Amino acid sequence: MKTQLLPLIIAVFSFGLFSCNDQCKETRITRRLTPFTRSLAEIRSSVKAESKRELVRPGKIYTKGNYLFINEIKEGIHVVDNSDPTNPKFISFINIPGNGDIAVRNNILYADSYSDLVSLDITDPANAKEVGRVQNVFQFGQFDGVSWSLMGQNSAAGMISIQDFTVDFVTETVTTSCEENVSPMLLSWLDSGFLSSASFNSAGSASSAQPNGQAGSMARFALYDKFLYTVQQNRLHLFNISNPSQPTDFTTVNTNFIIETIFPYQNKLFLGTTTGMIIFDNSDPASPTQISVFQHGRACDPVVVHNDIAYVTLRTGTACQGTQNQLDLVDVSNPANPKLIKTYQMENPHGLSIDFPTLYLCEGDKGLKVFDVTDKMEIDKHMISHFKDIDAYDVISLGKTLMLIGKDGFYQFDVTDPRNIRELSKIPVNKAIP
Amino acid sequence: MKILFSLFISILILSSVNAQDVEVKNKFINHTEFGGLFGRVKYSNGSQQNTVDSRTSLTLQTFNGIQVSRKLGAGIILGADWYKSALINPVAAGIRYDLSGRPNARFFVIADAGYGFTWLHQDSDGYKTKGGWMINPGIGLRIGNVNTSSFTLSLTYKRQEVFAEKPLLWNQTERREERVYNRIAARIGISF
Repeated sequence: MKTQLLPLIIAVFSFGLFSCNDQCKETRITRRLTPFTRSLAEIRSSVKAESKRELVRPGKIYTKGNYLFINEIKEGIHVVDNSDPTNPKFISFINIPGNGDIAVRNNILYADSYSDLVSLDITDPANAKEVGRVQNVFQFGQFDGVSWSLMGQNSAAGMISIQDFTVDFVTETVTTSCEENVSPMLLSWLDSGFLSSASFNSAGSASSAQPNGQAGSMARFALYDKFLYTVQQNRLHLFNISNPSQPTDFTTVNTNFIIETIFPYQNKLFLGTTTGMIIFDNSDPASPTQISVFQHGRACDPVVVHNDIAYVTLRTGTACQGTQNQLDLVDVSNPANPKLIKTYQMENPHGLSIDFPTLYLCEGDKGLKVFDVTDKMEIDKHMISHFKDIDAYDVISLGKTLMLIGKDGFYQFDVTDPRNIRELSKIPVNKAIP
Repeated sequence: MKILFSLFISILILSSVNAQDVEVKNKFINHTEFGGLFGRVKYSNGSQQNTVDSRTSLTLQTFNGIQVSRKLGAGIILGADWYKSALINPVAAGIRYDLSGRPNARFFVIADAGYGFTWLHQDSDGYKTKGGWMINPGIGLRIGNVNTSSFTLSLTYKRQEVFAEKPLLWNQTERREERVYNRIAARIGISF
C-alpha cells in the first residue's frame, strides 16, 4: 500500500505546486466618454415649448402652485399639471438643451442651458416662451459627472460652441493580485478636485415666500430677495432679477470648494460642497459673505436645515468618489462655529427633505427612509418606514404630500400621517404618458 | 482539480472494500492542525506585463466528529485562514479515512468541503468582502499508536472562493472582484 501511495503523494504534490495559483479577476464597468461639439447658435435657437414627452432620464424636480416641473437631464423640462396629485397630467415639454436646474418666481421660470441662463414666461404653462437670456455666464458644468465646457470664447463671433461628451459603458476584466490596496493613482485622482460633483443636485425646501416655487434638496438654483443664486464648480453666482423677465449677471463669489447644492435658510445660505458645508451670511442679499466651513471627507452632500440643525448627507458614487455613506447632524446655532452632533451610517443617501419632526431621506436604489428626528441623538432608532422597492434621488416635502423622483419614475405620497404613507400616483419612466 | 478529485474518490472506493469487517466505534475524535497555505499569483492589473508573486497565509483548523468505523471518521471542521486581504472562517463537513499501513505510521485521506465565511473579517473603507465555497482534499500521515493520540502531517489542496466589491475609480460604475485562492496547504497537528 505504501509503495502505491508514494507516487500518488508525489503526483498530488507536483500537481498542487503547479496549479496553485490564486486567480483573481476584477470586472470593471467604466464610462467611456466621446467628445462632440454643439454650436451655441443651434442650442439657443432650439429653446421652445413642444408637445408632451415621456420621462426618460428624470433629473431634479421643482414645484410651484399646481404645477410641477421635472427636469429631463440635458434635454429640458416636463411641465405637469398637478392640481390633482392622484392624477398628474403632462402638459408640455420645454426643450432646453443642457438644462439641469429650475427655479420659478411668479410666472417666470429660470433654467440653465449649458452656458446660458434662460428666463421663460410660463403664464400659459402649455406654451412657455423665452423672454430673456444671460449669455455665456457658466463656463463649464457637469451632468452625471460628465463635464461640458464652453469653447472658443475668445475667438471670432459666432464660433462659440459647447464641448460635451456622449457616454457609453465598457466592461473589462483584468487579473489582479488578490491583495487590493488603494493604488497611488486613485489617490491622485481623488485629490484632483475638478472631477467630483453632484449628479443630481437638489434645492432647499425652506422657501416660504409664496411667489417662489419649491425645489428639492439637490438644487443648484435658489431664489432670495431680488436675486437668483446659482452654484457651479467653485462659484456662487448672483443674478439680479428685479426685472423678473430680464435677469442680469450681478456678481460672482468664489470659494475654495466645489459646490454642489444650495439651501437658503432664514438669512443664511447653506452650500453643500464635495468636501464640506459652507455657511454664508446673506443678510445683505447682494453680497453674501462666507462665515464658516464644516469640513468632511470627500463625498456628495446635499444639506437641509431646520431649527439650527443642519442635516447633511454624504454619499459615494461615480461622480462623488469618497468612501462614506452617512447622515451628519450639525449644530449651526452659532453659524460661525458649526459643531457635529452625531453621525449616522446610511447606505447611499441622496436628497433629503425635512418636515419637522419627519425627515425624508432618499437612499438611491435602496429606496426612501422616513425618520422621526425629535430625538437628535437616536435618529437611527426612530425609523418610521422604509420603502425599499423604489429608486429615490430627491424629495420635496409639502406638508401633506411628498414628491419623490428617482430613476424609475416620479412618485407622490400622502404623508398626512407619516406612519401611514400612501402612494397617490406614480409616473413611470419610459412608458407612455397617461 | 478534477483529476485530483477522481484519484481521491477512487482510492476511497477501493479501500472501503477492505473496511467492511471492522467494528464501528462511534467514539469522539478531534483533529486539530495548523500550517501554511502556499501558492502563487500571476496578474497584470490591466497592463501588458504580467507579474508573479508568491503567497503564503496562515491556516488553522479543528475537525471534531465521530469514528464511524475503524478507519473512517466524519465530522465538522471550523477554521480560520488569514489571506492578506480576507480573514476567512471555513465551516465544512469532512472525513478522515485511514489507509492501511504500519500500526504506528499510517496514511489517511482528508476530504473537506464547505463554505468560508467572513464573520471576523473587517473591510477597508469602500470594500465589501463576501465568502464562498471551499474544498480541501488531500492526504496525511498519522504517527503514533492507533488507540492514543497521534501526531499528524498533512498535505492538501485548498480552494477557497471569495467575492469582493471594491471602491469605484474615476468613471467606473461597477467594480467587483472574484477571487479563487488555490493553495497547497501543509499542516501539522494532533489527533485523538
